[in-house]
Amino acid sequence: MLKISGLQAKILSGREVLKGIDLNVKAGEVHAIMGPNGSGKSTLAGILAGKPGYEVTGGSVTYQGKDLLSLSADERAREGVFLAFQYPVEIPGVNNMYFLRAALNAVRRHRGEAELDAGQFLKAVRAKLKELEIGDDLLQRGVNVGFSGGEKKRNEIFQMAMLEPKLALLDETDSGLDIDALKLVSNGINKLRSPDRAMVLITHYQRLLDYVEPDHIHVLSQGKIVMSGDKSLAAELEKTGYAAFGDAA
Amino acid sequence: MSPKPETAPYRTAFDRHHPAGHDERREAALSRFETLGFPTRRDEAWRFTDLKKLHRAVFAPAEGAIHAVPDLVPWRFAGDAHRIVLVNGRFARELSQVGDLPKGVIFGSLAANPALIEQTFDPTDTEGGQAFTALNAALFADGFALVVPAGVHLDVPVEIVHWGAASGRSFHLRHLIALGAGATATVIETYAGQGDYWTNAVTTVRLDAGAKLRHAKLQDESSLAIHFAQVRADLASDARYESFVLTLGGNLSRHDSAVLYGGADATCGLFGAYLLRGEQEATNATFVDHAVPSCTTTEVFKGVVDERAHGVFLGSIMVRQDAQKTNANQLNKNLLLSPRAAVDTKPQLEILADDVKCSHGATVGDLDEEALFYLEARGIPAPEARRMLIEAFAADAIDQIEDDVDLRAHFVTQVQRWLGGGAK
Ligand SMILES: Nc1ncnc2c1ncn2[C@@H]1O[C@H](COP(=O)(O)OP(=O)(O)O)[C@@H](O)[C@H]1O
Ligand SMILES: [Mg+2]
Repeated sequence: MLKISGLQAKILSGREVLKGIDLNVKAGEVHAIMGPNGSGKSTLAGILAGKPGYEVTGGSVTYQGKDLLSLSADERAREGVFLAFQYPVEIPGVNNMYFLRAALNAVRRHRGEAELDAGQFLKAVRAKLKELEIGDDLLQRGVNVGFSGGEKKRNEIFQMAMLEPKLALLDETDSGLDIDALKLVSNGINKLRSPDRAMVLITHYQRLLDYVEPDHIHVLSQGKIVMSGDKSLAAELEKTGYAAFGDAA
Repeated sequence: MSPKPETAPYRTAFDRHHPAGHDERREAALSRFETLGFPTRRDEAWRFTDLKKLHRAVFAPAEGAIHAVPDLVPWRFAGDAHRIVLVNGRFARELSQVGDLPKGVIFGSLAANPALIEQTFDPTDTEGGQAFTALNAALFADGFALVVPAGVHLDVPVEIVHWGAASGRSFHLRHLIALGAGATATVIETYAGQGDYWTNAVTTVRLDAGAKLRHAKLQDESSLAIHFAQVRADLASDARYESFVLTLGGNLSRHDSAVLYGGADATCGLFGAYLLRGEQEATNATFVDHAVPSCTTTEVFKGVVDERAHGVFLGSIMVRQDAQKTNANQLNKNLLLSPRAAVDTKPQLEILADDVKCSHGATVGDLDEEALFYLEARGIPAPEARRMLIEAFAADAIDQIEDDVDLRAHFVTQVQRWLGGGAK
């Protein structure tokens, strides 16, 4: 589904952050990318999602046979790429429900499906909330406005569930959560696991992986994947820390 | 002093309609206009404005003939309303529809209620006011009048739609809104049209003790038109004047609100949004005079300026020595959508009392790139994402109309129409 080859990138008018990344993600797989702060995890996720501010200086990314990097951010999203933001953006004045319906209908149009009217959309929302066992308290508020850290992450998972992406990139969706919020979020992730959906979990801590079992784990350090393995790698990292990869954290 | 040359066509028109000695006050107003002439950039109040646009034609006052009027539904308030339509500055009876009004309420053409004309005159017509105020006092032919007696609540809004369609002509409109003690009303004004004309409107607002007026206005004039409007509101104690002005149209436009507090515990909310593109130039100017204690002023104006357009906000709040316990807040925020768009913003507080709570602020910024990316990352196409953010920005001002869902919806619809490409 996703094939990253020799990807090199720099911050616009800044230094090189990704120094040759190779990664293969197949449908149905869950990959975890771990690594110390500043190793380039968010940069990788941002580049895959089409965030402005970076320059790809080498390598390629193929997604479902297409050159991912040639698509605009909104095209990528409509093609099924979803980025759960490490820091979801607050958008005052844009109602959460209004926003999500606009997004879902954009995706549906692209898939050749009929748009949902307000009633149909509300029904779909209710069903999804029930499935994920989350409340409806955030729906009528401005997008992420005044949400707590946990509420923001919950909102990301909810959006993911509504948009049903093919490739989900979750950037530190676990960080800053208390244990109940973490369970709620990982429950959501597990429910969305499916044979035709791939997930990339970016995380600094092993904690999330106690709840969501990845098929593969990669360690990113200073812009390179320095080690890959199965889920047992997480436990090992927990013991040794990232020190072996040149980081004090 | 000899008259300024650009005033001559207005003298000609004046002499035709008002024979010498006919009306001294109108004569005095015209003389004042002749002395002042059109403003220039040296006038502090006009120094940000490109006044060349005013001089490109002679806008002789329109005569009575009514031109064909298109369907006005796109501009109209969708809810229930008593509606009158004015065309080229004059009441158009066949287009107006006023239902049953509560006892004692007068709503209709000012010219049809000659006894009320007297009430629209103000000292600033002949002294201390702008040139256009004086010109208006000399030349106005019609306008609307709304009089609500004490204690009467007008539950259904009154709507006034002005359609301008006489290219090269000017319309001098004079309006009166007078609410008796404890009366309430909502007024919805709309200005739209076709062609290269000049609308010059002056509104006198008098609110007796405890009266509450909500005064909403949509300025969506022809993209070639000039639009100047002045509102002067006198508030007795406990009165509330709330104004919302949405500026979308016109080539050169200006809305002036002057609020004078005459009694304690009165409040005013002056709100507005201006969305400009092309070569539009629009000014929103406010002057609020706190001469008495315990009054509260809130101002929120939001500007969205695209292409080569120019938005101006001039806000002035005067807190005089006796005006203790004054609350005054003034906010102007602007979004620049293009490198050639421009904004001048001048919020000003002059405080001579010591026990007051006052604040003011102004910002000029770009669209939030992070928010834009967030929306796009959910599949929303970039142009739609931009529209959503612009609408949200303007909605912040519209939402100041707190307890009137239908009126908020009216303005949101108009903003969406503008965002849809300004087709009209
Ligand atoms: N917008 C930016 N401007 C300048 N430097 C940045 C920016 N974003 C990230 N960086 C730098 O790039 C490196 C990688 O950052 P990031 O991808 O956020 O790391 P991680 O997510 O692994 O913590 C860090 O050194 C960070 O300081
Ligand atoms: Mg990060």
